[in-house]
Order: sequence, then C-alpha cells, then structure tokens
Amino acid sequence: MARYFAGCDLGSTTGKAVILDEAGDIAASALIRAKIDPVETGREVLDLAVKQVPELSGIEDVAYLVGTGYGRNEVPFANENISEITCHAVGAHFADPGIRTILDIGGQDIKAIAVNEDGSVLEFAMNDKCAAGTGRFFEAVVRTFDVSLDEFSELSLKAKRVVPVTSQCTVFAESELVSLLYKRNPPADIAAGVQMSVAKRVFTLARRVGVRPKITVTGGCSRNKGLIKALEKTLREEVTILPLDPQLMGAVGAAVMAFRKA
Amino acid sequence: MNDILVTAATRVGNPAVDEWKAEGKGIIGHVCSHVPEEIITAAGLFPYRLRGIETQSTSIGDTYFGPFICSCPKAILENAGRGKYSFLDGAIMVQACDSMRRLDECWRKAGEDYPGIVPPFFHYMGVPHKVTDYAIDWFVEELEKFAAALEAQFGGKVTSEALAEAVSLHNETRRLLIRLEEMRAMDNPPLSGEEAMTLILAGTAMPKSVYNPLLAEELDAVSGRDGGHGGKIRILLAGSVVDDLAMFRTIEAEGAVVVADTVCFGSRDYDGLVEEENPSFKSLARRYLNEQFCPRMFGYYQKRLDVLKKKIADANVDGVILQNIRFCDLHGSENGLFERDLEAMGIPCLRVEREYGPLGDEGRVRMRVSAFLERIAQAA
Repeated sequence: MARYFAGCDLGSTTGKAVILDEAGDIAASALIRAKIDPVETGREVLDLAVKQVPELSGIEDVAYLVGTGYGRNEVPFANENISEITCHAVGAHFADPGIRTILDIGGQDIKAIAVNEDGSVLEFAMNDKCAAGTGRFFEAVVRTFDVSLDEFSELSLKAKRVVPVTSQCTVFAESELVSLLYKRNPPADIAAGVQMSVAKRVFTLARRVGVRPKITVTGGCSRNKGLIKALEKTLREEVTILPLDPQLMGAVGAAVMAFRKA
Repeated sequence: MNDILVTAATRVGNPAVDEWKAEGKGIIGHVCSHVPEEIITAAGLFPYRLRGIETQSTSIGDTYFGPFICSCPKAILENAGRGKYSFLDGAIMVQACDSMRRLDECWRKAGEDYPGIVPPFFHYMGVPHKVTDYAIDWFVEELEKFAAALEAQFGGKVTSEALAEAVSLHNETRRLLIRLEEMRAMDNPPLSGEEAMTLILAGTAMPKSVYNPLLAEELDAVSGRDGGHGGKIRILLAGSVVDDLAMFRTIEAEGAVVVADTVCFGSRDYDGLVEEENPSFKSLARRYLNEQFCPRMFGYYQKRLDVLKKKIADANVDGVILQNIRFCDLHGSENGLFERDLEAMGIPCLRVEREYGPLGDEGRVRMRVSAFLERIAQAA
C-alpha cells in the first residue's frame, strides 16, 4: 500500500487536515468549524480528509501525523506536534518557495513570520495585548453590519473613501461602528475603515520582523479580499496569493513536516 | 527535595513561618529586592518576600488599583484582602516601580473595607533611582529611619554586632545561591530550571538561618548528579518578576532547560555581596543600589546588558526569553532594547507579554515558547 502523511491544525475557530501522498502532493484536505471538544474536532476533520483517499480506511493508516495549532496536543493519533509558526512557514514555503514574509491572521492571533530560503523561521512576532484585529474581531464587526464575512469584504471594496476607525478594543470598535453608521457614513466607507485599522495592526507586527517580499497572508482572514487590499496599501508591497488555500497552510506545513519525518 | 523547601516555594504559608510564629517572633513582609533584609534580620525579625501566588482572580486588587496596572501587586493585595498574610507583624513598602509603590496606598485603602488586613507595622521607605553620593546618603537616612521604626515597634536593637551577624548570614545565602547558579551553568546541569527556582523561591519565604543549612544539604545532594539535561536547548529567562514555577514549567515542558535568569526572585536577589568588614548602613546602601539588575534604576542599561551577556556566555545559553507582565513599562521597554542588541549579536530572543504568574494564559505562552525553540533548533 502507498504511504500517506497527514497534518492536522486545530485552531481557535476551525480545524484543518491535509494528507500528502508518497510523491509529496496533496491527496486530500478538509476544514470544519471547531467544536467545544478539540479531540472531536480533530477526529471529524481527519475523517473527512481520510474519506477522500480510497486507500485509507482510517487515520491510523497514515504513516506519520503531525498536529499543530492551539489544540495540537489533542490531535488524535498524532506522532508529534509542532507549533503553528513553524508549520505556517513550512506550508507557505511548500506552496511558494519565494515567500519571505508570512502574515498569518487567524481566529485569535496575528503572526508575522520571517522565513529564509529553505522555509525555516528567522523571526516571528505576535499580538500580545488582545485579539483585536483577528478573525474574532471580524466576526463581531459583521454582526454590526448584519452581513456575512464575504459580503463584508466585498462591501469594503466598494468604498469611495476610508472612514477611520480608531478604537483598539473589539468591543469599543463595535460601538464606534454603530455611531459611525448612525452618523450616516456610507457602510462601504466604514467597512474600508475597519479593513484599514486591522491592516495597520498587522503592519506594526510585520515591521518588527522586517517586511521582505514576497509577502503572503495565511489563516482564515486571507479570504478577506478587502483586508488584502488594505494591507497592500499599508505595506506598499504586493501581497502574493498562494496557489493553495491559505487557510490550510498550517495543516499543509504539518503534513510536509510529517512527510519529511517518515 | 526537602518538603519544607517545596512548600515554602509554592505556598504562601509554610512550616518555617508557623514555627517562627510559635516562638513568638515577628515577620516583616516586603516587596522588592532593594529592601535590605539584613536590617530586618538584625532586629530579630524574619524578612518574608510577599507574593501573589495562589490567587485565582484579582477582584479585590482591581477595586483599588486601576485597570492599567501590573497584575503582580494586585495579586499581592488579593492575598492580603483574603487574609492570607494575617501572619505578618509588619510590612515595608517601597517605590520598587510605580505599580508596586501604589501597593502602599491601595493596601491602606483596602484596609478600610477589610478590617485587620493592614499589618500593625506598615512602613514606607524611599529607594533612590540613581547611584550618586547624595543618593547613597539619602538612602542611608531612609535605612536609619526604617531601623528606628522597627526598634520602636518591636523592641529589638539593630546593633553593629547584630548587623554584622545578619550580613554574614545573608551573604552565606548569596554564596550558596551563586553555587547553585554555577551548577545550572554546567553542560549537563544536575537540576532543571524549575528545581533551581524551587530552591531559590523557598529562601524568600523562610528565615535565612533555617534556609541556609537546608539549601546547602540540597546542593550537596544534587552535586555530581546526572540531571539528564545535557543536549537540551539552553534558555536564559529575563524580564519581569517571576515568583512561581509556572513559567519555568512551561518552558521546560517544551523540551528546553532554563540554565540562567536575570529575574527578580531569581538571580537578581543574590548577585553581589555586602562588605563583611565593619558593615554599616552605608555598605548596605552601596550593595543594594549598585548590585541590582532592575530597570527601575535609571541610566544603567549598558551595565545590565553586560551582566546579561556575561550570564549568556557563562551558561552557554542558546536563546533568551524576554518576558514582561502586561503594563510593566520598565521591563517591556527594556526587553525591546535587549532584543535589538542581543539579536544583533546572533543570540535568538523571544519577547512575550503575559499576565502575572498564576493568572497567566499558559496556552498562549507555550505556543510562543515552542515556536521559539523550533526556531533555535532549525538554526542549529
């Protein structure tokens, strides 16, 4: 039987799994919303990936499994666990070896990671004070706008100008948005202001590790096109969109690490 | 390891406290490595360094301190408010840093709402931020006032003989802890950072006369032992006060060993001896102002960087973890400078902001530490 290698990334809001085949190509991937029990999230997302590979009857059949993310100690059947910083670096390098700066914007963390030519981590910086400017922040914001995350992203791209949003705290930012809406500012312009406020936060972290092209964005917030646009404006650099789903990058990196081990 | 040492390191109360109290003798709590404990010992009292360990919230602390204040003094006030420091006969407050200075007024104010939590003797002492001739003279005056206040309250006399005895007792503690530091710096240290910190912390919560022989015994017992730490990534821990084992445990659970530190409660308290020949308040003042590593002292960044570099070289350190408690401006800003200068020398650094010990968000810190260790391992 052919051998397979898996990575499972249990993040704060989603669980991701990726399986590589013997050639090191992606054979399967899955993503689900995180459940209360991380073990259950891990089992379910791995099962979903395993089902896509006819040769595998269960995750036990995988030659090597690496866990990563906040729940990395809880990944069922994992042979090893590795931090998501290393995994995002390895994953992004796998997807595009030219990447030197990774901005991982996930559910509760923002990470800026500098990587060298072989994909190893040179330096990283993370948000420490609070989770404002992460996926959780956007989830709170779209509630105020009563739209989906994708709709919010599209909305911000239609802005004619950017209404500044200055509150640093998620809760206060929400009330600032409400008062901006009451003042009859166009929702698109406020949405662009939200994107810019997050981009500035990410920029501060990125500056700490040094911004070297190519730059890419991973994590759930990479799907937010409005944010990518705001980031390009703040960084004054082009953001490279990876050829693989950037939200899976932690799991891809973990699977690559598994592939290297076995 | 001796149970008394483990209890003293991890609990607010311990058998040494109980025995001392049973003998009818007084205990004085303090909050800073700039308080010359020798004066308290010379007055026949037991200097006990206050901690916020065992707290699970800061509901009392938050009431009296503002929201933008380090959680360490809040946790100490929490313990006081919950009666955990009822064994204290006195406490001395100093302007260690601005947050710790505010413990003085917040504790007094909380005492109005929680009767009996302010010890009968409650003294405020100034500590200079610079080392100049006039600052040392002023500090000597503050020490004289403190000694006089202790004598008036407790009746003991701080004679030159008693002071000489106390200096030699406390220097003995420092010599033993320096021996421990040398053991930690070995290629295969006989003990983990957590074990070393347990030994160090115990000494802050026991009379030195009881602590010294127990520590000496422990050091003899582990000397030459194979601790099984050879080949691990060697970490130096720097930054804000660390008075519990959680941080060490988190770092070492990821497979590293903490071989050195520059933190308060750690090596900061035992670096540098007091002159033993005819010791005076002036010799105490000189040691407590000159031999300190705290960024509360203005204008000694270069000296502190040199101390850090020496410890990195002595212990063959692979990486430095620069942590600070939220709102600790002193360490927060200095950590940024250390990171800049050490990284430029090729020494990997990790900067982490965290809550004070027992209130810490372990998962978040663990992830950063683990990624940092992977970064060091990849570069090797």
